Amino acid sequence: MSSEGDAPHVVDMTTSEKVVELLNQAALLGTEEKLTMLKQVQELIINKDPSLLDNFLDEMIAFQTDKSMEVRKFVIGFIEEACKRDNELLLRLVANLNMLLRDESVNVVKKAILTLTQLYKVTLQWMVRSKAVTERQEACWDMLTQMKGDVLALLDSENDGVRTHAIKFTESLIISLSPRTSDSDVPKRQDADISLDKIPKDHAYIRYDVLCEEGKSALEQLLKFMVHPAISSINLTTALGSLATLARQRPMFMSQVVQAYETLHANLPPTLAKSQVSSVRKNLKIHLVAVLKHPCSLDFQAQIGTLLLDLGMAQSEITRATPVPREPRKRPRHEQYPEGKKIKMEPALMEDDEDKEEPAAASVSKPSPAPAAQSAIDLTAHFLHPLLNPENVANLVLISMVYLPDVMPASFQATYTPVESAGTDAQIKHLARLMATQMTAAGIGPGLEQSRAREGDSKEGLGEDELSQELLIKRKVPMVHGQAISVVGSYGEKQPAIEVPLVKKLPEPILPSTQTKLPGTTGRKKVFRLADVVQPLLESQIEKLTSTAVKRILNSEKTIAQSGMAHIRVRLLSRLVTQFEGTMKEDVLGFILQDIRGRSDLAFSLLYQEYNAYLSQLPEGLLDGYDHCLYTLLSGLQEKPEQRDGLFTKLVLEAPIITESALDVIRRYCEDESRVYLGMTTLKELIVKRPSRQFQYLHVLLDLSSHEKEKVRTTALAFIKRMYEKDQLRDYIEKFALNYMQLLVHPNPPSLLFGADKDTEVAAPWTEETVRQCLFLYLSLLPLNHRLVHELASVYTEAIADIKRSVLRVIEQPIRGMGMNSPDLLLLVETCPKGAETLVTRCLHILTDKVPPSPELVERVRDLYHKRVPDVRFLIPVINGLEKKEVILALPKLIKLNPIVVKEVFNRLLGTQHSEGSASMSPLTPGELLVSLHNIDSTKCDMKAIIKATNLCYGEKNVYTSEVLAVVMQQLMEQNPLPMLLMRTVIQSLSMYPRLGGFVMNILSRLIGKQVWKHPKVWEGFVKCCQRTKPQSFSVLLQLPATQLTSVFDRCPELRDPLLQHVLSFTPHQQAHIAPSVMNALEACDKPEVKPMETPTHPPPIQTHPPPVQTHVVQPIQQTQPDPGTDDPVEEAMDQGGEDMGVQGKPDPTMTQAEVPRQEEAATPPAETTEEEEEEEEEEEEEEPMETADPEPPEVNRPMGDGDGDGDGDGEVEAADGSGAEEAE
Amino acid sequence: MPSHPLRVAVVCSSNQNRSMEAHNILSKRGFDVRSFGTGSHVKLPGPAPDKPNVYDFKTSYEQMYNDLVRKDKELYTQNGILHMLDRNKRIKTRPERFQSCKDHFDLVITCEERVYDQVLEDLSSREQETLQSVHVINVDIQDNHEEATLGAFLICELCQCIQHTDDMENEIDELLQEFEDKSNRPFLHTVCFY
Repeated sequence: MSSEGDAPHVVDMTTSEKVVELLNQAALLGTEEKLTMLKQVQELIINKDPSLLDNFLDEMIAFQTDKSMEVRKFVIGFIEEACKRDNELLLRLVANLNMLLRDESVNVVKKAILTLTQLYKVTLQWMVRSKAVTERQEACWDMLTQMKGDVLALLDSENDGVRTHAIKFTESLIISLSPRTSDSDVPKRQDADISLDKIPKDHAYIRYDVLCEEGKSALEQLLKFMVHPAISSINLTTALGSLATLARQRPMFMSQVVQAYETLHANLPPTLAKSQVSSVRKNLKIHLVAVLKHPCSLDFQAQIGTLLLDLGMAQSEITRATPVPREPRKRPRHEQYPEGKKIKMEPALMEDDEDKEEPAAASVSKPSPAPAAQSAIDLTAHFLHPLLNPENVANLVLISMVYLPDVMPASFQATYTPVESAGTDAQIKHLARLMATQMTAAGIGPGLEQSRAREGDSKEGLGEDELSQELLIKRKVPMVHGQAISVVGSYGEKQPAIEVPLVKKLPEPILPSTQTKLPGTTGRKKVFRLADVVQPLLESQIEKLTSTAVKRILNSEKTIAQSGMAHIRVRLLSRLVTQFEGTMKEDVLGFILQDIRGRSDLAFSLLYQEYNAYLSQLPEGLLDGYDHCLYTLLSGLQEKPEQRDGLFTKLVLEAPIITESALDVIRRYCEDESRVYLGMTTLKELIVKRPSRQFQYLHVLLDLSSHEKEKVRTTALAFIKRMYEKDQLRDYIEKFALNYMQLLVHPNPPSLLFGADKDTEVAAPWTEETVRQCLFLYLSLLPLNHRLVHELASVYTEAIADIKRSVLRVIEQPIRGMGMNSPDLLLLVETCPKGAETLVTRCLHILTDKVPPSPELVERVRDLYHKRVPDVRFLIPVINGLEKKEVILALPKLIKLNPIVVKEVFNRLLGTQHSEGSASMSPLTPGELLVSLHNIDSTKCDMKAIIKATNLCYGEKNVYTSEVLAVVMQQLMEQNPLPMLLMRTVIQSLSMYPRLGGFVMNILSRLIGKQVWKHPKVWEGFVKCCQRTKPQSFSVLLQLPATQLTSVFDRCPELRDPLLQHVLSFTPHQQAHIAPSVMNALEACDKPEVKPMETPTHPPPIQTHPPPVQTHVVQPIQQTQPDPGTDDPVEEAMDQGGEDMGVQGKPDPTMTQAEVPRQEEAATPPAETTEEEEEEEEEEEEEEPMETADPEPPEVNRPMGDGDGDGDGDGEVEAADGSGAEEAE
Repeated sequence: MPSHPLRVAVVCSSNQNRSMEAHNILSKRGFDVRSFGTGSHVKLPGPAPDKPNVYDFKTSYEQMYNDLVRKDKELYTQNGILHMLDRNKRIKTRPERFQSCKDHFDLVITCEERVYDQVLEDLSSREQETLQSVHVINVDIQDNHEEATLGAFLICELCQCIQHTDDMENEIDELLQEFEDKSNRPFLHTVCFY
């Protein structure tokens, strides 16, 4: 800077100052800014003020050690620019470039190669220009030559990009080191570039011929590089492009290029992937077309055309790309190169073998001016052509069969086109040429040997450099040998068999091929492929190795756990196992199941891995692996006893998908009574948390609701009830329940109910069990949703009787649960479908069983009864809710029903059924009931039924106490007319409560006042009563008018004597009170004439009522009783009074009337005990006011000694009693 | 990894749909991206398959937009052409022809094989100068909106992967193989030189 001149001081200072400042800044800044600064500096010192270049060169170059590779790359660019600006700088900078060429960063190396590509030409030109070459220049050139060699060696670099750049360098080098001809298609930009023809043969330092050789050898290297079997697709593409460039710019190489293309086309590297094959073929096509377009392609048009056809180009397109042949002077010009060379070479200083070779080549391959390689192929092809007869070809095919690879290589697949014109001469020629290409590439064949023979001497003259290059070339050959993958390539190996005679004809030793083996073994680093050096293992070996490996990992559980890497082991195992088929999976699963609690993480990992595998194969992937895994794990857990830690649940809930078989396991789990709760909780969770398939899960639960095991069933039902509250599940559950219930309408239970055993379907009858099975679910839902009751009704109407019975039995609980206020139940009652009457009745009964009916229910039933179904049975359940009037109205119908039902009715009415005394709710008091029964019109109802009904009342001794009966009797007696059954009731009451005797006597006397004899039935009863109550009744009898007393004796003669005795025992004063007519009647036992006399007898003074008109009395008795006795139901009933009661204590619904007597014996003892008890009671109750109040007691206690004459009558009464007792027994 | 951002060119036939979609996404992801067409004209669907709207590359997207609005606004709204042009004009002014662009790229991605061929033809017909390499990759994308979007994402992913390689040229081969396997479509790939 300080050495700068003074004149342009200001300007210089500013520029250089700026540069200094920029450089200073750049040193401190980051990469981005640094580059910006440096670019400015470059601009300033190269373009703006090149005078500064020298000054700042060192500062700039100093950046070549910068950390950033971008900066280093920039330095390379700067070197290029600087050297182009000032060639002298090459002297200083080439060494730096050399350094950078060895940079650790490939990007820097690539950049250096690019720069070297440019600078090589620049330097060469500069060298050529300089007439006097300095030592430094020489050194520079030497270094450059050495760098050139280095870059060529980089064709073997491990880095794909570096190789690519090396190829481009080689291309450029070949062009520079070969002469430009008039045919050369040189881009304008490179018009001024140096080429061999511009190099003077007499240069002081640069030697034309050496450079020429270098160029040739570079081409050889490139060509050899291309046929490498493991060449990368990009390298290949690059090389193809380079060859095309060469062919166009240096048409002298065209034959080699075309040949290389041919070779490549037949031997696409087997390592290329399918798409790479297409890429390469596409490139090949483009470049072939580019070559074809060149005017010098004339000689190769046939070959190029064939190739293009093979590559799928239409003939028309090929024709279009083919240049119109120019005048044939092209060819001589083409030959100018060797000729010119020859001419120019002779004056060259160096003595060379080249000129010897040239004429030889020209003479041998006269028709073709192509270089040696071309001749070799041509010669070999020419040699092969006649040999390709069908027999040989067939043999070749057969032999090569052995070498076919197992799998069709992608390249073959992509390129194969059926041979269209097989057997034609053209095709044979093509084939011969293909084979010749292969053979030449493989280093065999007569053509090659001939050309080698020609070249043999020239090799001696080559320098060491050349020799090493030769080695490089040759070592590729064994590679081609070794690979039997390319189909066409295998010809090469078999070829010698045919060639043997020819080889003998030309006995020269193939030295290079023996030499090749040694370097061949070293190979390229990048060539190494594992597949080439390893032997595939046998299937069984692989399997064994993998499974033992997995087992080792499995068994190292503890060791790994100690090292804290357990999770890696788990992941590794699950990955491994899912990737490979075989028994490993089973091993691992078995291992997990040995201690599933401790190994659950492995279980989950495996499961997820399986699922992942499935997902990655979507959509056609199968769940099999996953399913199997899940199923095995779940089954293992299910079969294990004592699993309480919920691992099963966890596994189910965390599994990504529940498969069918997994669901089966869950179901089995639920069926296990000891785990049913856990199982169903899991199922519930599934239903809730996996909405997408919740119905599938729900279905399982629903299925279990009719399970044969009760615990399973009830648990399931409990769960379902909870689910039922969820809206989204409700419909499904309901539908299921109803469907199931709907099964009841089938005449036989469907197979569905029997689970898997479908065979049982055949006409198995419905059983209680199967019916219940259909109803479990429904019935448990019913209390939750009352609407469902209508469904039951409709099913019920269609079902057969057996099912109906079962249904009636099972509905109790749920109906009770619904309660009588359920609107739906009320609606059911209201609508009562036809055929469902029994169901409705049953419902009513259930509802009112324990509690009295609500008014709403009563109202509905009443409506139903009155308007639709007049079946009195409907009324029974609600009878206590009815009004008194209604009950009384219904009584006649009610008591006609089945005895059990009647009993039920009475129980309800009397409140004897319910524990809590709801008798108060009854519309009728017990007394009213009994009275009502007495008042039933006998035309409406059979008397027998009424009697039975009253008997039921008497059976309820707790209700019908003596007081109640007394009131009833009182009430009945006051009625007019007297109820027919009055006396029966009196007798009955008396037999139940003997202490009522006094009261009864009172009744009897009052009846006399009511002229009881006018009611024949009652009268009869009256007599019977007197008979039974003698001697108490004697005083009553004595009150009767004589006529009636006679009538009594007529009926009951045995009464007379005791009565007479009784009277005779009276004191005379007492006797005076007895009317004479009565005495007459008493004494007139054998005097029929007495009767008329008695008629006017007056009633005794005790009599409260006037004596009845006797004539009237007799007549009715005789008239209304034409056949007194047995046929009369009242009488019969009276006779049977005690006996009926005994029976009533134990009513049997199944018993017909005929069977009743048989039961009597069994029934009797309790009847007796009750009588005894009553007697005891009687004693205790003697002082009760009712008895004392009785007006008759004095009479009852009167001495009864008199009445001897009545002995007969007494006997009769006894007899009557006896017969009654007999009957009762 | 190249420290300068990858210079990417996306090329389709008319520089309208596929390349612009990818242009859009790539520029959003911070790539140094440009887009081109290789056709001789810009063609847009017309009222019938045999009546496309043809423009030259000088016509701006805006002009095309206005032209189509004038011709049949409903049709071109409905088939999404207007929407596309609207998007395009916000990215750049007019379509560009690949063959006319002399700038250098690191990566050229073509959207169909024909375009790939044209790009290769163009690149190999150019005079080589710096010998800088450019990788050309073809990703087949059908010319409709949906495929363009999907394709753009694929391209974007590809570019991101390439950008992240330590040594693109050395790794691109394997990378593409992986992508082929992953996306289940073949990629043509070659290298050219400037």
